Amino acid sequence: MILQHYLKEVKKGDVSIKKTVKAILREAKTLNKKHHCFNIISEDLALSQAEKQEKEPKGRLAGLPISIKDCICVKDVESRAGSEILKDYVPPFNATVVKKLVDEGAIIIGKTSQDEFGFGSFSTNTDNIPKNPLDTERSCGGSSGGSACFTQLTKHPHASISESTGGSIANPASFCGISGLTPTYGLVSRYGLIDYANSLDKIGIMSKTTEELSPIFDVIKGHDKKDSTSLDISSNSNNEVKKIAIIKEAFEIDPKIKDIILSNLEDYDVISLPLTKKYAIPTYYLIAMAEASTNLAKYCGLRYGSTLPLKGSFNQFFSEVRSKYFTKEAKRRIILGTFARMAGFRDAYYLKAMKTRTLIINEYKKAFKKYDVLISPTMPILSPKFSEIKKLSPLENYQMDTLTTGPNIAGLPHLSVPTNSIGKLPVGTLLISNHLEEDKLLNFGRKIEEK
Amino acid sequence: MKIGIEIHVQLNTKSKVFCSCTTQSSEEPNTNVCEICGGFPGSKPVLNKETLQQGIKVALALNSKIASETFFSRKSYFYPDMTKNFQITQYETPFSINGKLDNIRIKRIHLEEDPGALIHKGSTCLIDYNRAGIPLIEIVTEPDFKSPNEVRLFLRKLITILEYLEVYTRKSEATMKADANISTTGEKVEIKNITGLKEIERALNYEATKQKETPAKKQETLGWNSDKGITYLMRTKETEDDYGYIYDPDLVKIEIPKELVSKLKSQIPELSLDKSSRFKKQYKLNKEDAEVLASEQKLAEIFEKVAEKIDPDLAAKWLIRDLLKIINYNKTTINEIKLEVKHLIELLGLFQQGKITDKTVKDLLIELIKEPFSPKEYIKKHNLEIISDSGNLEKLCKEAIKEQPKAVKDYKEGNEKSIYFLTGQVMRKSKGTANPKEVEKILKKLIR
Ligand SMILES: [Zn+2]
Repeated sequence: MILQHYLKEVKKGDVSIKKTVKAILREAKTLNKKHHCFNIISEDLALSQAEKQEKEPKGRLAGLPISIKDCICVKDVESRAGSEILKDYVPPFNATVVKKLVDEGAIIIGKTSQDEFGFGSFSTNTDNIPKNPLDTERSCGGSSGGSACFTQLTKHPHASISESTGGSIANPASFCGISGLTPTYGLVSRYGLIDYANSLDKIGIMSKTTEELSPIFDVIKGHDKKDSTSLDISSNSNNEVKKIAIIKEAFEIDPKIKDIILSNLEDYDVISLPLTKKYAIPTYYLIAMAEASTNLAKYCGLRYGSTLPLKGSFNQFFSEVRSKYFTKEAKRRIILGTFARMAGFRDAYYLKAMKTRTLIINEYKKAFKKYDVLISPTMPILSPKFSEIKKLSPLENYQMDTLTTGPNIAGLPHLSVPTNSIGKLPVGTLLISNHLEEDKLLNFGRKIEEK
Repeated sequence: MKIGIEIHVQLNTKSKVFCSCTTQSSEEPNTNVCEICGGFPGSKPVLNKETLQQGIKVALALNSKIASETFFSRKSYFYPDMTKNFQITQYETPFSINGKLDNIRIKRIHLEEDPGALIHKGSTCLIDYNRAGIPLIEIVTEPDFKSPNEVRLFLRKLITILEYLEVYTRKSEATMKADANISTTGEKVEIKNITGLKEIERALNYEATKQKETPAKKQETLGWNSDKGITYLMRTKETEDDYGYIYDPDLVKIEIPKELVSKLKSQIPELSLDKSSRFKKQYKLNKEDAEVLASEQKLAEIFEKVAEKIDPDLAAKWLIRDLLKIINYNKTTINEIKLEVKHLIELLGLFQQGKITDKTVKDLLIELIKEPFSPKEYIKKHNLEIISDSGNLEKLCKEAIKEQPKAVKDYKEGNEKSIYFLTGQVMRKSKGTANPKEVEKILKKLIR
């Protein structure tokens, strides 16, 4: 409630916006040294916005500090999506979400660290790796690791705007012990989001508690004519949760995690989603990589971002720039994605994945005829140590997304709620609802948190 | 011989296909570019509906089927003139298929974005992205042409249709490009990226002649060097799939409702083919004249207005044989001239009444395309009306006979041609306002 309380105080004039912003900037700089949660702290922008709001607080989020995942464009602030190829790239425009937040009086304090272009589950595929707020030997999760890290650590009113393609909000929310909402695909405009996989990318929110997500969600959702995939309908305001079910396959994991989650639930059915279990990961990675490999083509050193002296043919030049500045994981995804859409393989991979995606959506849709909310753990494991992550093969890495890829490929809203800890390491419960039923998630999430 | 072509035509919408940048050309490079057509990270395309509507009109005019829904795809290849290193085009689901113009089948018509332009200057290459994102339609025919000449006739007709639909402006040669495939007795070869109507015909003629002498032994992709007038080998045949097409995930399915199609159908003006056959019937013109008059919308419009007041046959003759010639000679177009229809009617009316000569009409037409004025007043002011008063004419004839005794002598000795010379002299004296037949009659009478 710290967030809503602050917004009320601002309305009453009982609190200084400038003081709050200065304090959170100071805190961000200190924490960043140890935890690497920001790629850039936008001090000048935040202070000028605070100055303006202090004089005349305006909007539903007047004076509220917000951090933004690096892949979401903020005008005149370096936005590089965690990649070296976009180093020093300063967008000439604001993403629609950023515009909406600023129009409602929010203060943009910086860009949070992440896996390059969102490619990863541990925020380790980048040059600025965030460290877990509860144990710096461990990962924050990914790809929105920096957002989750700072959201957990800050003592000030704050929320973070992050983004999920295959689980990049729920995963770090779970590992850092905070609340993370991924809305229905298309409910929040993607305009200004540096693309990973356009048909999967969703902008969402992180905050310490589920309660604090709501005022931000109200501001950022809604139709945007600059994004063709933006939905022209509003979310369902009915938040009544009558029947819930746990997903059988999702609990075939560490019994300690299972017990913690189930101990918070009562009156649930058990349902089986076998197609999702079997096909979610391969479907997700095929579609995501195919799209990503086309999205990344534009980074070639010619128009913006990192470059090299012009030399040789344009093909040689492009290859040299891309070889130098992309991480290994980005190169892996470009190669796999390009392969999946090549002549002779297209039908077997990319087009088949598109069809499988429909099967998975239908499997969920059937479950939602009976249940309001489906429940699973967010992650199959607790946050791993960096030393353990190094030993994982790419395939083992991709398996980490086994529980989050399902709702992500189906475009379903989902919420990771912090649910006790094992030792100091937090566990997250994943709540999934039908399209546009975010209010059911927020309502039910609050109830779990209260326990 | 079998020839098939793919024609890329720039549409003349106000703004680009996926952003709101203007399509007007600019002297300053990279000024009509925004975050979207410039391919900046985070920007997203939104379809400009006008481009699709123009495309549908073309498809309807080419008797094509319109899809009820259509998608866009990304065609991936690296090239400096592409801001995203993929082109947004249509692959599996074009908005239109199965059309026909005369006996040529049209396989598909789709919408796509134009890349930017590379400008080579000495050893450097500059890039201008003003053109990036200008809407193009690609029209793909079946290999139904039997000669380059058929292709030429088809393209002429196609341009006429596009201009009638007001979706195309022939501002430069670059607004139309084509790929062509051609096969004689050997394998099929493809000529890529030929710019301009004339070049398309030249390239095909060159390749057709070459193929007749030595048919291709394997499939080849050729380029066209317009300076040297020859084709050259580009690379071995690539299949379309190597572009790694995926559906563009930023653009959603576009539904084309039946009502929109019928609305667009109703907006299509009478096309030249229908118009020329109507002209033939309604105005009793010969086929050739009817086709010429219907070939350009403005010309057809002028003709129909004039034909309301003037004998259609006469109007057709003046428009085709004289006005078009004068326009050509002055290197202008029917759309640019200053001629006003009411003045043309006035002028041809006077001619029809026998009040002015052929020459006067021609002289005035030359002036009227430059600036509008009333022919009636001009003729009055400059005394250009035919001298029908025979007393006055007789006086001029007598003068001529007196001045040209040799010609008179020749005529008397049986040289019939000398009478024309004498007539010419009288015409000159009358500043062209005399009726030459009348003059001849008077001269013959006087000499005898
Ligand atoms: Zn533009």
